[in-house]
Amino acid sequence: MGALLRAVALVLVASVAVFAATALLPADAVAVRSGGRVDGEQLAQLRAAAGLDRPIVARYLDWLGGLLTGDPGSSLVSGRPVAELVGQRAPVSVVLVVGALVLAVPLAAALARTRGPAVGVLVVAGAALPPVVVGVGLAALLSGAWQLVPPVSLLPAGRPPWSRPELLVLPVLTLALPTAAYAGGQLRGTVADVVARPFVRDAVLRGMPPTAVALRYVGPLVAGPALRVLAVSAGSLVAGTTVVETLFGMSGLGELLVAAVRARDVPVVQVVALLAAVVVVAGLLFADLVATRNERDR
Amino acid sequence: MTAPPISPPNRRPRRFVVTALVVTALALSGCSAGGTSTGGPAGTPSDTLRYAAPSAGGAATNDPHGLLAGESDIVRMALTYDVLTVPGPDGSPEPRLATEWTPDDTLTRWTVSLRGDAAFSDGRPVTAADALFSLRRMGEKAAENFGRLAMFDLAASSAPDPTTLLLVTTTPYAEVGTALMGATFVVPDATTDFGAGLVPGSGPFRPTGGDAQTTVFERNDGWWGPPPPSRVIEVRAIADPAARAQAVQSGEVDLAGSVPAVAVAPAEAAGFTVARKPGATMYPVVMRTDTAPFDDPRVREAVKLATDRRQLLDTVFLGQGELGNDLITPTDPSSPQNLPQRTPDLEGARALMTEAGLAGGVDVTLHTTTAYPGMDTAATLLAQQLAPIGIRAAVQVGPPDTYFVDVYGTEPFYVSFLGGIPFLDVVRVALTPGSPTNETAWADPAWNADLASALADPDAATRAGRLGDLQTTLRDEGGYLVWGVGDRVDLAAPGVSGVSPAIGFGAGFVDQVTPPSPS
Repeated sequence: MGALLRAVALVLVASVAVFAATALLPADAVAVRSGGRVDGEQLAQLRAAAGLDRPIVARYLDWLGGLLTGDPGSSLVSGRPVAELVGQRAPVSVVLVVGALVLAVPLAAALARTRGPAVGVLVVAGAALPPVVVGVGLAALLSGAWQLVPPVSLLPAGRPPWSRPELLVLPVLTLALPTAAYAGGQLRGTVADVVARPFVRDAVLRGMPPTAVALRYVGPLVAGPALRVLAVSAGSLVAGTTVVETLFGMSGLGELLVAAVRARDVPVVQVVALLAAVVVVAGLLFADLVATRNERDR
Repeated sequence: MTAPPISPPNRRPRRFVVTALVVTALALSGCSAGGTSTGGPAGTPSDTLRYAAPSAGGAATNDPHGLLAGESDIVRMALTYDVLTVPGPDGSPEPRLATEWTPDDTLTRWTVSLRGDAAFSDGRPVTAADALFSLRRMGEKAAENFGRLAMFDLAASSAPDPTTLLLVTTTPYAEVGTALMGATFVVPDATTDFGAGLVPGSGPFRPTGGDAQTTVFERNDGWWGPPPPSRVIEVRAIADPAARAQAVQSGEVDLAGSVPAVAVAPAEAAGFTVARKPGATMYPVVMRTDTAPFDDPRVREAVKLATDRRQLLDTVFLGQGELGNDLITPTDPSSPQNLPQRTPDLEGARALMTEAGLAGGVDVTLHTTTAYPGMDTAATLLAQQLAPIGIRAAVQVGPPDTYFVDVYGTEPFYVSFLGGIPFLDVVRVALTPGSPTNETAWADPAWNADLASALADPDAATRAGRLGDLQTTLRDEGGYLVWGVGDRVDLAAPGVSGVSPAIGFGAGFVDQVTPPSPS
């Protein structure tokens, strides 16, 4: 119960931070939208009409109140309801993030278990590469050189995002590879520690099959840190959609967030950022619960 | 801590990493690898046109009368709704919903006849009341649409009968056909809710579905105009120009609007159709005529003389365009045609600087941004070109999202952006004294008096000549350095035809494009 309260508080803090950060950026939605075309008086009128002339605390509380009563407001740019915009785009981003997780988790596990300096270098390099470099490189290879998949991912209109799976290869790989490298790198030390423990080595010497060793002895000890890394990785995957969706011409939440920040469209920024925060915080909460249970069991 | 012994379990994962990657990539791609580099996915009917339209990013707007930031929104509106007039091939107005527009003797009261055979998708006929309602709505949203209808007194205008619109202008205004050319999308009278979706329109197509990126349109067989060659048009809003080019080259779409200059040669070599539209993009350099040192006309002329236009054009637009001659709207039908091309004259420029008392040089800040590709390069090059005449320009690159708030219309020396806009639109936005967007602080009473009198001239030919003279004066004395005009290039799959040569608003009309024949 305490953990849950802490998680809710974390999400709230995140929403305040995002709101304040967007508000502190130079220019607001009305100024960006009118692009210097209107004079000060008109600007003031437009600001008043959009409610942007009110104190920031009042605006935040308005937004929070709306959210809690099920109305996250409307875009300051297109006037369309935020819920509709987010609902329309969520499937694309969810498919990308889930797809990337499905690929990244086993990859990370494999990297974490693999010894050797070569793998160490691979892991550091993979984690350090910016997603845009990974994406362009993969596109050059899989699409340019080998002609396996299209270089852009224009999803079929009105059908689920997975109805042409080949279109998901580049964006999912672009998200998954650096994340797997990061997560694998984070867990390599932990796994090495656990594997070096006497009871694990005993088990190996006793001839126990490697899978059984992994499941019975290594897994439970690594699970807590692994889940925590996974939660953080999920956050970085969500953040990565901003790059990947733009790069491959997809209209998901990441692309929406980039455009919304650029336009200072606070209601849209708030909801998309909040969703990302919920993913990370929920993951961390789950990781903590599992870790606590493991401690208790031992 | 000691390193654990290398044991069999540690070896397997390495193979697994590689295998997992390859297997996943192949499994996901294998099924349709053949369809990606040819004519699009199997089963695409040949009566469908798939168009990757330039977008400003973010969510599509459903309000036709406010800010249409991305061309994709104009395309969606132009398929759904009828406009009153459209730009013809040379940029002059042609009839669409309005068939005729005739003034009274004072050129302030215009009788606009509307065709009587247009109907909204809900069956109601399109009447003058609908048109008047739509124009008034544009008037209310002036702050979002550049004050597009500022020349009209819309409260005094009326709709005396279903096919007649009586438009009143605030001053004598002979170019009403041109004024009605931009974004005059007609919606049903008294429509209030534009948030939920596109409202009923009378245009050549009707929206039938789609998602966040794509709007699917089906042909409106009851449309009064020439039957569109495609039955379905899919409009995809894609912000990244490179992604649009790749989309057409990989067969995912049939037509891509505005692709990067670097993509053109390879695509042409690969057999794609290149539609070149001159005069689309300009990065004019603004010199505020009320701020030192640019308040001295000799300094402005020195800058114009010192500029190496060829080098800028070749570097910024990769040579794909034409040299600028400081004419702010070179593709406008009234733009003067026979002026000598300005060429670099460093000696003349130095002499002017000395005359202006700046023989020792002057320090200025040249602002630019990365909002459009090459704007920063243009500033860097220009700063180098101005150094020999003693103008020491420090280039300052501003963030693209606030550039048009902080720098545009404020700073005395910066790289601006203009594209495909008719002369009178530029006049309204950027050359009206007192307007916040009068970026060069152009306020010559004689010039403005001449403009008003030209617009009150009922004779089209002499009027065009007088508007041309005004542009010549602006070229010689004004605060705009126009060093080059970049082409816009659209890429199309083989077999696509009928792409409009128009730039600006006219580029948003794709209803007469013929889709590729079945392969």
